Amino acid sequence: MTAVARMAMLNLRTVAPYRYQGFLVFALGVLLFAGKPTVLVPALVFFFTSQFASYPFNVADKAGLDTLYAVLPLPRRSMLYGHYAWAIALFVATASVSTVLAVLLARAQTVPFSGRTVMTVLALSWALFAVNVAIQLPLLIRFGYTRVSVLGTALPLAVVLGTVYKLHLTVPSTQVWLPVLWIAGAVALMASAAIATTADRRRMRSSGPAPKIH
Amino acid sequence: MTGLQLSSAPEIRKDPPVSTDLAFALRGVGSAVSDNFALRDVSFELPTGYVMGLIGANGAGKTTTIRCLLGIRPIDTGEIELLGHLVPGPVALRQEIGVVLDHAFLVSDWRLTEVERTLRPFYDRWDGARYRQLLDEFGLDLRAKVKDLSRGMSVKLMIAVALSHRARLLVFDEPTSGLDPVTRDELAGIIGDFLLDEGHSVLFSTHITSDLDRIGDYLTLMHNGRVVQTGTKDEVLDAYRVVRGGPDDLRECVGVQLIGIRRTSTAAQALVRTSEADLLGGNVLVEIPTLEDIAIHVGARDPQRNPDRDAGAGRRQPDSPMPTGRNA
Amino acid sequence: MRVVLSNSAGVPLYQQIKEQVQTAIQSGDLAEGAALPSVRALARDLRISVITTTRAYAELAAEGFIATIPGKGAYVQRLDSALVREQLLRQVEDGLQTALDVARRAGLQRDDLIQILDGLIQAEQEDISDDRVAAQQRA
Repeated sequence: MTAVARMAMLNLRTVAPYRYQGFLVFALGVLLFAGKPTVLVPALVFFFTSQFASYPFNVADKAGLDTLYAVLPLPRRSMLYGHYAWAIALFVATASVSTVLAVLLARAQTVPFSGRTVMTVLALSWALFAVNVAIQLPLLIRFGYTRVSVLGTALPLAVVLGTVYKLHLTVPSTQVWLPVLWIAGAVALMASAAIATTADRRRMRSSGPAPKIH
Repeated sequence: MTGLQLSSAPEIRKDPPVSTDLAFALRGVGSAVSDNFALRDVSFELPTGYVMGLIGANGAGKTTTIRCLLGIRPIDTGEIELLGHLVPGPVALRQEIGVVLDHAFLVSDWRLTEVERTLRPFYDRWDGARYRQLLDEFGLDLRAKVKDLSRGMSVKLMIAVALSHRARLLVFDEPTSGLDPVTRDELAGIIGDFLLDEGHSVLFSTHITSDLDRIGDYLTLMHNGRVVQTGTKDEVLDAYRVVRGGPDDLRECVGVQLIGIRRTSTAAQALVRTSEADLLGGNVLVEIPTLEDIAIHVGARDPQRNPDRDAGAGRRQPDSPMPTGRNA
Repeated sequence: MRVVLSNSAGVPLYQQIKEQVQTAIQSGDLAEGAALPSVRALARDLRISVITTTRAYAELAAEGFIATIPGKGAYVQRLDSALVREQLLRQVEDGLQTALDVARRAGLQRDDLIQILDGLIQAEQEDISDDRVAAQQRA
């Protein structure tokens, strides 16, 4: 296992004690969008990954895991990329499960859900996910969850919803742009990772998290 | 006798190669923390196989120094050598170092079995059997969650983790604050066991001097971001004398610095450097200090010695003992 | 090996260890060739610093009571080796010097001192013969 994968696993284990809440959120999301299978995938992926890509930061802040990251034989860069790897793993898991569910729901509701549609919703989901995480992660890495928290999730959400609204994006209209969505997402993530590395260096320089509470 | 040889685990010293027989050395280290606090000209070293006590009041700079030593905090001047490597050394160096604070820096909802499963992939030499054996020795239940542990048990857990990945340098940052004397004594025993191997070393920072009274080999005294004294425990104790006299006996004498003078209506007490002790008059009682005497007087809040203490508001404090979660 | 340290003795810890090991060797509790615990094991057992035990052993070795073999450990030496005798002679000399210093203050002369020494030796002989008589009476 590479160091990046180890960090992704560490993130998984960090949130693992709270997995039942995760499943609940997922189930609620499914229920919410059950009636619109085409919207289900991007919406679910977006909201779910938005919450859970950042969840390790939430736990880390409370548990003082910053020290753990500094003490473990784990290169700093691998640690940072590991956050991205974790987010991508989340995407893959969420996208696969929700696509399968969407197809089944569509079949049950006799709504058309072609292979083309699947490709489109996946590309859309990727783009939404990537932009969201690309904004969130450098902020979380630089400032930690407590200082970012609501803003960290609300900002990308606002950006994305605003963009969707402005561009009048709907599933049919985005069919032409699929490869662009994949590439744009990948580029956003890579740029984000580069920014995160710089942001992290500034964080190292500062005195660190809040002092001890007795 | 050959039986004893086997238990000293020579394979630890084979990798990575150690160029000196110092566990660590700080030379002229400086690191700015805020406008009002910085580490300045911090120099001390520890030969392999011994325990060094890092003593100082809260805010003296102990945690900041430890963070610099571990490479967590960048330094502005000077150099640091850690287990034969210049800091920041290779990441693999962390395989050999165990860090113990007064709390476990782990997810509170992890069970102790999960702790092992999570940390194991990062270490080349994780000894699972040892981990379980240590938990048993320390009276820790494998099925317990990290949040269920008392402070003392958390400290022992982190020691168990460090020993399980075969660390040869243990760094303790104020592990005993808030611990009862029984646990503090157990800690001294654990350190004694750890030092049976002469390739093992310990850095122990504390403001509780009784922790190190007996087991400390070397001491470094810090105050206001500087090293006040360093050397073997005997050397440090011998560098000072406690002087006691009546309220008027200890007036400023030429050439004698009265450290942390405490004056009441009936008596006065201060610390002086041994070399200056003879310059005092015959009216005073001069004695060899205890470690506590030294810590108290050196760390005393003396407005004459700390002019910037009273200057301005909103200063950033020196690092508090390592970052902690709210469930500490 | 039995070492009991006192915190309030006013005597440095390494000195206490030295004296107790010395006594044990001289009284035969520690036989010649007996292995002593390593400096680290002793430090661990007594909850003191390794430097302290190392110093105690170093001085015991310098005075010929024990021998340290690198990689093997510390062993009790033969009691009547030249170094030990030298050490005992030094102790006698120190004791006599102390007596001399006090005697000077009291204004005693050489003959007075010899008289006191003879008196002490005689008293010791009497004690020994008293013990012998008492033992015979019991028998």
